[in-house]
Amino acid sequence: MDKSNHWYGHSRILGRYCGLADDTPKRIQGFLQHGWNYLHGFPPDDHWCSPGYPRFVWSDVLRRRGWSMGRRGHYVIGAPWVYLLQLEPDLGRVPERKGTIWYPFHGWEKSSVRGDHARLAAEIREVETGPVTVCLYWLEFANPAIRQAYESMGFRVVCHGERGSRWDRKGRGFLRRQLIELRRHRRVASNRLGSALFYGVSVGCDVAVYGDPMQYEDERPEYGGTARRRRLWPELHGVHVDRALAAETARSELGFDHQATPEELRRMFGWKRVRSA
Amino acid sequence: MNEAPQNVRLIGGEMLLWSDADDPVDWRGAGLELVRRLLPAEGRVLLVGPHPQALVDAVAARAASVAVLVRSYPDACALGERHPALTVHCGRLRALTVEEPYDLVLALDGLQRTSSAEEPAPAWRASLDALAALVAPGGRLVLAVANDLGIDRFVEARPPDREGGDGQWEPHGFDPSHPRGSGPLDRALKASGLAVDRCYAAYPGRRAPRALLGRELLERNLPEALTVPLSARGGDTMRVADPLRLSRLAFRHGLGEQLAPAWVAVATRPGDAGDVELPPGLIEVGRAVHEITPEAIRRLPGGAARPIPRGRVVEELLVEACAREDVRAVRELLAKLADWVTDGGDATVDNLVWDGEHFAAVIPVPAPATTPVARVVLCRILWRFAVRLLAAGHHHPWPWPLAADQLTLTLCGMAGKPCDQADLDLARKLDAELGQPAEVPDASPTYRDLLGARDRLAEQLTAALARVARLETKLTYRERELVRARAKVRRSQRKVAAYRRTLGYRLSRRLVQPRKVARRVKRMLSR
Repeated sequence: MDKSNHWYGHSRILGRYCGLADDTPKRIQGFLQHGWNYLHGFPPDDHWCSPGYPRFVWSDVLRRRGWSMGRRGHYVIGAPWVYLLQLEPDLGRVPERKGTIWYPFHGWEKSSVRGDHARLAAEIREVETGPVTVCLYWLEFANPAIRQAYESMGFRVVCHGERGSRWDRKGRGFLRRQLIELRRHRRVASNRLGSALFYGVSVGCDVAVYGDPMQYEDERPEYGGTARRRRLWPELHGVHVDRALAAETARSELGFDHQATPEELRRMFGWKRVRSA
Repeated sequence: MNEAPQNVRLIGGEMLLWSDADDPVDWRGAGLELVRRLLPAEGRVLLVGPHPQALVDAVAARAASVAVLVRSYPDACALGERHPALTVHCGRLRALTVEEPYDLVLALDGLQRTSSAEEPAPAWRASLDALAALVAPGGRLVLAVANDLGIDRFVEARPPDREGGDGQWEPHGFDPSHPRGSGPLDRALKASGLAVDRCYAAYPGRRAPRALLGRELLERNLPEALTVPLSARGGDTMRVADPLRLSRLAFRHGLGEQLAPAWVAVATRPGDAGDVELPPGLIEVGRAVHEITPEAIRRLPGGAARPIPRGRVVEELLVEACAREDVRAVRELLAKLADWVTDGGDATVDNLVWDGEHFAAVIPVPAPATTPVARVVLCRILWRFAVRLLAAGHHHPWPWPLAADQLTLTLCGMAGKPCDQADLDLARKLDAELGQPAEVPDASPTYRDLLGARDRLAEQLTAALARVARLETKLTYRERELVRARAKVRRSQRKVAAYRRTLGYRLSRRLVQPRKVARRVKRMLSR
């Protein structure tokens, strides 16, 4: 259907939840939201989401926004992360959580971000008291200069891997690795609100958002920019954030209350053979 | 995202890719008049939700300090640019925090469009509480509330809030706190700490209200003349169609308030409120606004009060007479109407009442610049009636002149003032100059209209088929006649040929021949 359905091993996680074999994930008949988003769950130019196929989004606010922008056919199922947490209740749990895992805002294969990593690293050093793990996207991880910026501050630099595809094995462990890392750390931080932050909050991390938010080279105006994020979630920005408030937001943004049953997903994704009349 | 003007304040929940500017509730004269009376000389005014531009302009021009709250970012920027002195809050109602409450809060679009897609749709009561909190002690709130059982809902084949438009991410209609009647509305306002000054019923439709009638007015038996402008649909005056009948019935049964398409409540937060004289009722006809009291009607501004004429609406009388094919009654009424017009009267039959002795215009018509001949005036009145009668599909007794023009000329004849096509052309020109179309173009016909049209077509088809059958019979008969006649002709021709071959005939021809030759020679010689 679309390759983004299989990124980060999402389709595998949902397949496992539905009791399917883990070898090659099945095609999802629809479009699965692949990352946290404050538009309608998809990029502004979502013309590749053909009308007539459902849009599986994480939360109801995305459905409402999408509807107001002329999109139809939303089906709220919550994030694949929610399903992973149910499948792996104890994966990566450690007796004592330590330090901070820091996710600098990342570019992607077709667009890079502008920003000064060295300055950001200095700021992190100033704020964080415990050990710091910096998690980079694979593109930035492959760039020795960026890695060096963080390593020189004595940070541990890791990468969860590529996001993968339906056909290779690259992305399949992505979320599991992320879950293990998040459960090892006491705190998760970033310079922008994003999926990783909400994932962290949902597994009990403290949260912080600070530092230069960095910009995409061609950031779309539809999002409304950093100012809009700050207006929507003022309580989540800062060096210290109220954990209860953050947990509540993460709960609604990741759609914990919208988790679907396996049978429902099998039918919605077209994974169930339906005898046509 | 473009840079917002200085006076636009983003309060959270704003909708970046959205606009309500193209379809706010279309308040015109009556709404504006009500607002004008309530505007404090010096005080702070807040407009909540989308409002028509003319209303915002009027408020911004008259009030000392004006703020607006809209959810759409482009609308907010447009407003901010248009009125640099305005404070524009952009976002959802419940995110608005103000340091100082307002002396007048206007929410004439209702509460539904004060929440945005950024939040789950709040219950009506929750929005009301947020709104009421913005009213200062002694300040007033003007709130419009659409009635889910309004009379306009009865005639909607496609209710707009069930069409799944982009604005319907959480369709209204599942909200148990939305007031179910004007009594519950009063109680809700009271629970929010406001005292209701007056509650108006807005007619004829919730999207385009043209009249505001106070509860006290509706409790009395409204003169029929008044129900005329209230029964309109879409346009400025009524149509001879279903909404008319329903509205008329609602008023007759005393349900004018319960079945109003919308209510407009004026409420005050207890405190040192300034004294405001609220009109018992406001009605707009065309561009003019009239104030109504139980006995009198007064054109604003500054018109003299005159009693509301009693009697029945002439158009309805005519339609009823047509329905029972009482041509005599029509003829007599039209003759009296013609006399009245000859004496200088002028009003269309939908704006005219007859009390059995006199005609009286419901809303007096301003005299035109040049007074046309009485015959043309009458012709115009009857033409409008003919157009509306045919458009509404009422039954009538005239079989042939199905076109409005022909029917008009027939009606003129019945009134004893025969007109010709030239008069009719003048009459139509006059009508166009007066600028109130006889037939309001309606984009979506009601289901009942469609059924009516279908029945009419079926009737016409039956009649046409009967005529075809009759003509077929005639045709067959004529063809048989023709065949017979041709056979007769052929027989005669044969007889003639046989006669020519007889000896006697040929002999007589020979005898005549020499004389003919001599005549021909003589003619040649004489040339």
